[in-house]
Amino acid sequence: MSFSKKSGGKALELLHDLPRITLANLRPEPGAKKLGKRRGRGQHGGNRSGRGHKGERQRGNRPRLGFEGGQTPFYLAIPKYGFNEGHSRRPQYQPLTLRRLQYLIDLGRVDPTQPVDLTQLVNARGVTIQPLKRDYGVQLVDEGADIFAAKINIEVQRASEGAIAAIERNGGIITTSFYDPISLGILIKPVPFFMRGQPIPKRMLPGENMVPYYTCAENRGYLADPDEVQQARLALAQKYGYVLPDISKDELYHMLATRKDVRQIFFGLSPGWVVNMPEKKILKPTDEKLLKYYNS
Amino acid sequence: MLRLSVLVLGRGVAKRFCSSFSSENTLPPNLLLPSNLIDPDRLKRPPPPADCSLPLLRRCDAAVPAHLSPLLTWVDSLERKDGEPLGLAQLHPDVFSVPPRLDILHDVEIWQKNYKRISHANTKVRSEVRGGGRKPWNQKGSGRARHGSIRSPIWKGGGVSHGPRGPTSYYYMLPMKVRVQGLKVSLSSKLAQDYLHIVDSLNVPTPDSQYLLELIRDRHWGASVLMVDVCEEFPANILQATASLKTVNIIPAIGLNVHSILKHEAVVLTVETVRFLEEKLLWHDQRYTPLYPFRLPYSDLP
Repeated sequence: MSFSKKSGGKALELLHDLPRITLANLRPEPGAKKLGKRRGRGQHGGNRSGRGHKGERQRGNRPRLGFEGGQTPFYLAIPKYGFNEGHSRRPQYQPLTLRRLQYLIDLGRVDPTQPVDLTQLVNARGVTIQPLKRDYGVQLVDEGADIFAAKINIEVQRASEGAIAAIERNGGIITTSFYDPISLGILIKPVPFFMRGQPIPKRMLPGENMVPYYTCAENRGYLADPDEVQQARLALAQKYGYVLPDISKDELYHMLATRKDVRQIFFGLSPGWVVNMPEKKILKPTDEKLLKYYNS
Repeated sequence: MLRLSVLVLGRGVAKRFCSSFSSENTLPPNLLLPSNLIDPDRLKRPPPPADCSLPLLRRCDAAVPAHLSPLLTWVDSLERKDGEPLGLAQLHPDVFSVPPRLDILHDVEIWQKNYKRISHANTKVRSEVRGGGRKPWNQKGSGRARHGSIRSPIWKGGGVSHGPRGPTSYYYMLPMKVRVQGLKVSLSSKLAQDYLHIVDSLNVPTPDSQYLLELIRDRHWGASVLMVDVCEEFPANILQATASLKTVNIIPAIGLNVHSILKHEAVVLTVETVRFLEEKLLWHDQRYTPLYPFRLPYSDLP
């Protein structure tokens, strides 16, 4: 082999003949530690100390930022318009490209033989969701639709038409569902939630402005009619020009058809249950009122 | 360049120093030799050859990458003074043969020194110095310079303008992986420069410190030795032997740090310590970034 078999290689062989590395021998890389500016010292930093010559500049009496000497400043002359009004309250969705999804599946970080959920994506470190920054989930973007070739049952919060087409072309199922911010926080970090010892809450239904989105079959919303969804699948296949594969004959049909209940946050766990992680037990409510509340 | 020439001269001096304690060629007793002098007797033990007859006492537990091969080192024993190695041990190349990043060593050493530092230096500002509320004399008419208070920084006994202000903390954390890499680099450089020794266990026959000192001197391990073992209770003999010694120190494996490794000339690890270190240090190569602190139970880690 031409290259050395050891990862340290030549450098470690050189070290063998050099003096011992001690506390006295350590020094940072040349250029790593750049000293900061010191005003008022020496020929170049001293004299006027970088303040200029006389006037408001040197004396520190300049007017406020944006002041234009009395002329109506730019930021007041332009009339207001609500471009960014309520921008901090708008729901945001972290984009997930099909290319990245294919990458995660190829590397084995996301298991396509199980339903793919936001928890699975976050566990695989495919996306980073910050529910406190008004993130309401993940949206599927159709960059990489031409190289996407995986049959998965995926659940996201928004999806573009091209992404839906790409997933269904490969025989997968895509659903868009809504998670309110508290459920989202629990969904992406289940372990800290279980450590709290609280019962799993019900997932809230979407607000008025989002209900049309999630009841629409074109968006594969979880509140839409399944028959309409099937029709929409056929229509999309016609539009994009591919043959819709028949999923019911697939061996993984049972897995592909699993869907969460409207009020459910985790697969296999119902609202109202308490998960005890150290003892590996699940506690379910028995009181009538609690059962009635959690099953509503 | 200069360092190499110092080294060459130093080796010659060392030969003369070590080879003869006779009266003709003794060097003056107050001669200061550089501390990084290489003792030529140290270089006499080459790494074990491939066809060595001694048994392989320890194999690498973790998978070694295909393009690298595990390192072989001697395994000694502290039971007897004569330095016959007991066997060989395999060391993982991703822990004991990483590129010698001296800048990482410097960063980790400076961090270790500074992150605990709280400097309590505090000076009083002109408002905190006792007095100085009244204008000392009228603005005009007295003929003296104008002043507003007797404790302004211009005055003797006045406040300090830009002095140290109260306890300041120099706390900062280097990324976890940098600190881990620092440990790996320090261990690799110790091994590369023949200062790392593997021992089967720290059982010593006598609690006598003299025995340890003579053993270290006969084996040419160096002036100071750091012994590391993985256990909560060390054998009483070695504890007593090292208790009175300043240059020979013993620490548990969780206490291993770059400063101690660099401060001591030789580092002695037991076979269990090597296993523990490899397990802990190699984990960071393959882990995900933490979603929540590592002390909480993880179920998705590889």
